[in-house]
Amino acid sequence: MPERAELGVMNAIIFSALIGVVMMLGGIVIKSNAGIKLLAIILLFILLGSHLAEYYDLFNIHIQTHGMLAKSRFGMFFNTIIISLTLLYVLLSGDEIVKVGTYGAEYFALIFFSLCGATILSSYNNLLMLFLGVEIMTIPLFVLTSSEKKNLKSNEAGLKYFLMGSFSTGILLMGIALYYGGTGLFAIEASKAANEAQQAFRILLPLGLLFIFISLSFKVSAAPFHFWTPDVYDGAPSVFTSFMATIVKTAGFIAFIKLFELRSVDMGYSWKILLPLIIILTLLAGNITAVFQQSVKRMLAYSSIAHAGFMLFALYNPNDFGKQGIMLYTVAYSLATIGTFAVLTKMKDYTYEGYNGLAKTKPVLAATNTIFILSLAGIPLTAGFFAKYYMLASALKESTSNLWLVIVAVLFAAVSVYYYFRVIQAMYFKDGNAETTEIKPFFKTLLIIIAALIIVIGLMPSLLLDLFYA
Amino acid sequence: MIELLFHITAFKSLPLGEVGGALTHIIILSTALFFIGMYGLFTRRNMITMLMSIELMLNSVNINFVAFNKYLYPDKMDGIFFSIFIIAIAAAEAAVAIAIIINLYRTHKSIDVDDVTDLKQ
Amino acid sequence: MNQLVYLIPLLPLIGFLINGLLRKSLSKSVIAIIGSGVILASFVISLVLFFQVKSSGGQIINYFNLINLDKLVIPFAFQIDQLSSLFLLIITGIGFLIHLYSAAYMHEETNEHYGRYFAYLNLFVFSMLLLVMGANYVIMFFGWEGVGLCSYLLIGFWFKNDNYNYAAKKAFIMNRIGDLGFLLAVFWMIAKIGTVNYTDVFAATSNFSSADITAITILLFIGAMGKSAQIPLYTWLPDAMAGPTPVSALIHAATMVTAGIYMITRSNILYSLSEVTQHLVAIVGLATALFAATIAIKQNDIKKVLAYSTVSQLGYMFLGLGVGAYTGAVFHVMTHAFFKALLFLGAGSVIHAMHHEQDMRKMGGLKKYLPITHITFLVGCIAISGIPPFSGFFSKDEILAAAYAKNPIYWGIGVATAALTAFYMFRLYATTFLGNFRGSHEQAHHLHESPSAMTIPLIVLAALSVVGGFFNVPEVLGGHSSLHQFLSPAITSEVVHEASHSTEYMLMGISVAVAVIAIVIAINKFSKKPELQDAQGFAKVLENKWYVDELYDNIIVKPLNSLGSFFKNIIERRGIDGMVNGVGKLVNYSARQLRLLQSGLVGGYILFMVLAIIVLIYVWINDNHILSFFYKYF
Repeated sequence: MPERAELGVMNAIIFSALIGVVMMLGGIVIKSNAGIKLLAIILLFILLGSHLAEYYDLFNIHIQTHGMLAKSRFGMFFNTIIISLTLLYVLLSGDEIVKVGTYGAEYFALIFFSLCGATILSSYNNLLMLFLGVEIMTIPLFVLTSSEKKNLKSNEAGLKYFLMGSFSTGILLMGIALYYGGTGLFAIEASKAANEAQQAFRILLPLGLLFIFISLSFKVSAAPFHFWTPDVYDGAPSVFTSFMATIVKTAGFIAFIKLFELRSVDMGYSWKILLPLIIILTLLAGNITAVFQQSVKRMLAYSSIAHAGFMLFALYNPNDFGKQGIMLYTVAYSLATIGTFAVLTKMKDYTYEGYNGLAKTKPVLAATNTIFILSLAGIPLTAGFFAKYYMLASALKESTSNLWLVIVAVLFAAVSVYYYFRVIQAMYFKDGNAETTEIKPFFKTLLIIIAALIIVIGLMPSLLLDLFYA
Repeated sequence: MIELLFHITAFKSLPLGEVGGALTHIIILSTALFFIGMYGLFTRRNMITMLMSIELMLNSVNINFVAFNKYLYPDKMDGIFFSIFIIAIAAAEAAVAIAIIINLYRTHKSIDVDDVTDLKQ
Repeated sequence: MNQLVYLIPLLPLIGFLINGLLRKSLSKSVIAIIGSGVILASFVISLVLFFQVKSSGGQIINYFNLINLDKLVIPFAFQIDQLSSLFLLIITGIGFLIHLYSAAYMHEETNEHYGRYFAYLNLFVFSMLLLVMGANYVIMFFGWEGVGLCSYLLIGFWFKNDNYNYAAKKAFIMNRIGDLGFLLAVFWMIAKIGTVNYTDVFAATSNFSSADITAITILLFIGAMGKSAQIPLYTWLPDAMAGPTPVSALIHAATMVTAGIYMITRSNILYSLSEVTQHLVAIVGLATALFAATIAIKQNDIKKVLAYSTVSQLGYMFLGLGVGAYTGAVFHVMTHAFFKALLFLGAGSVIHAMHHEQDMRKMGGLKKYLPITHITFLVGCIAISGIPPFSGFFSKDEILAAAYAKNPIYWGIGVATAALTAFYMFRLYATTFLGNFRGSHEQAHHLHESPSAMTIPLIVLAALSVVGGFFNVPEVLGGHSSLHQFLSPAITSEVVHEASHSTEYMLMGISVAVAVIAIVIAINKFSKKPELQDAQGFAKVLENKWYVDELYDNIIVKPLNSLGSFFKNIIERRGIDGMVNGVGKLVNYSARQLRLLQSGLVGGYILFMVLAIIVLIYVWINDNHILSFFYKYF
């Protein structure tokens, strides 16, 4: 597939927006929950099909974007991942989504709109599109977070998410404004930016980049801008937490990596201190605070912060290793998180005690959940191991002087084993009667498929990249 | 920080004649608005006031865009168009925010953010 | 035969899957047949492979590429050579015997747990085979982590007991600390030469600076410390005795804990290039050997004595590695696997007969009730004490001779440790099997010899413990050092020491004499007067020997006892455990502090973020100053 800067990844963007509208209108006609879920799944298959059609050059909508969107292998890969993950997510948790409130169709529509924002983020080449993509992605999430109207926690989470999200939007816009002031550009082109940067306003360019960087750190919940994450993930209905923690987070990282093409602009300041500082703070805040949690859901929120710390390694080391590592990492992390959240949504009690003895009552759930947890902890033979491995290897490949950072990261990974294994311990080694809601055979089959995928990727990590990135 | 201040005040000595002076004043205005908004966000407890603070931040950015466009890059209109996008998005955000606040008022009977702290640790 | 190599690890994996998935529906006998059968099949293939390697040398078999990007290619490949084929035999052979033994030992468990047990055990064998067969450090690391996981699962097998769970967690976390070293070493290799294949790494040693080699070997050694229970990471092993006894025999004596020795032997080319690491390995090994042996003297739990003895023997092996006697270390791994598995299984048989009583003070006089166990156990004790011509003598002698060539002080401490070993083993033997029975009437009534599925492995292992030494009879005793010759293609940097025959005879003579004296003292002291609280009245009967006993007590036993309890109570509990627990406490403490930041107040969050932004801007603007500051001082 040739790289064509002029054409954006149009199919996925247009179809996801249209499908969102169709879904919303479908809600008027279809009243049964099962029907709505079925429609959503069919529409998602259409979306995936349209995207793959473009991927294999069969059919795509040509739109002249004047370089605002750019098509790249990287972006296409992420679109494939995001859409497939959403499909998996809806197949797994569709029943739970329609059960959150009375407006089943709208929830799916909002998910599609959010997905539209995510697809824009994977192909933006212009800060305007970055801004629009981020907003299109997050505004539906504000609604989804507070969608459980009678639940105080859900409302509170929605409010917090909105206040802090808008705050970070303000920072993002200020950053874009400064970047524009310094260069007169919105395009992300390092060479052009360096040329245009006016000597007199030199300070504006780096300051603008720093502000954009801070705002995106917020979106991917990197410390010290992670405060919203635990509260929002905890308060939101569990199904939507799963969506936020995986697909949205992945999209945030794509945006982040794309932005970092600007790192080569010589502006007198380097990322040499800032990034390691943020990485260490993120690993610290995520891993250490997770140790103390009593609720598995909240623990997973902190663990998602910890994983962001690992993914930030890809920014720090912009070599091939890092780039391919982040692809593997997002897939490994998202698969495991979707799986473990799917199990979580079926639990009646979200605390560790609620998992006691799950191995006896629901052996399949316990076994697959163990694989998800092992992958999150980065134990070999699961996808999570290679994901972490690539990240750390990328740092060392860049320069051996990063060894200290790698050591810190591995130490924190060791800490993470402690809180992850508490779940396994509760499921297998504690007596109890873990209660779950009704579980269908189809759900179990899907969980087994996801677990198998994790193992397969863990055995042959190059397979994934060969299939979708080669 | 001192270096940063130095750079901002250095606008005055730009070889832009009167333009430089006017731009400096506008930037000082927008920066002040931005920080007033930020300050409002962490001092105010009333959700509506906090929403207003956010709007203040977004509007200060609008001023920046328009000013940069007019004084520095007058041959294209992209800065001005950007601010139109911001206004549109801000309206959408406000709509969602008001909905959330109304719902919170229904459940908590209060629009004070300090009353909603069930989620912590 | 090459086409069948992949079956060696695959068969246990299949066994794991069948037993794991169908554990509820299969009957116990089917589970036992599947579980042991797959290991037996692997053993047969390994045996054929061994003779093939013996006649036509080793090879590397590539399957597919695990990672393939940039210039880094990590293949999934097996390296079948002299070293790995020998380990394959040990793992599958002893593994099979222990599976067989377990079939009877675990028979009281319910169907489901019985299946779970065999599934874990099969998974363990699979991981261990992967560790040994892999042709690069990454596959070795896979196996390395896999055996750690299985060890965790099996230590906590009786998960109803919280202490057992704690022991399992302790083992896993300590191992992870070691793994960190291993992982860093692998990263280091990739960064420096971009490959992890054994053959490529050893061929590219010239690309490493000497500092690189020292760092890599030390990091690898840290990994070995965790897995093979060396100071300071050894405390998990005694606690690991919480698992079922056959597990202790297989994992915590014969195979998993020797993974560190395998790894260092495999990397012998790297180690021989770093004088510093070699000294470190030798000193740590020696210290562990002595330290653990002194602790073993004071233990009353039959399995704890064996556990400390294992730690001590592992220390011996590291001493061998440190002084360049790689073959000696591997030889000791082999003989130790025979006699230590035998001793553990024997102890298991005793525990079985005593209805899960592990306290030696409540045993005694078991000689007449458990004749087969008694004889085989005695064979094991003699073998570990290093009495010729039993196997332990030859392997220990080889290590000691090499230690003497390197530094006579090493040798001296080694012989002292050997004496302690003989002493505590025969204390164990005497207290358990000699004298009168001290248990309850209930227990006395039920005393019985174990079923044949348990005694047959004992007999086989006892036979191996007797003859195992003849695989490598040194030239000075008229042998050909056959193991030495067999392994020489895989171990190229063996240090060959030349000593006159008379010196060697003298060294052997001293170590055997010391061991015999220790045995005589131990049997004398403990068979008639075991260490019991209420043994005072008994002393009168022995009045004429009083003086001798007192002398022994004051000059040998008491100082050793107090040294043992000093190490056990002060250094181990305060120092090492304290250090390890301290890390945990620090994490917990900082977790409690950090979580206070998450106050639930939006205003607070935003204020904190604004402050963070200001700090970040400050750092960003001044990054050059900060960087130069760092460069200046670090």
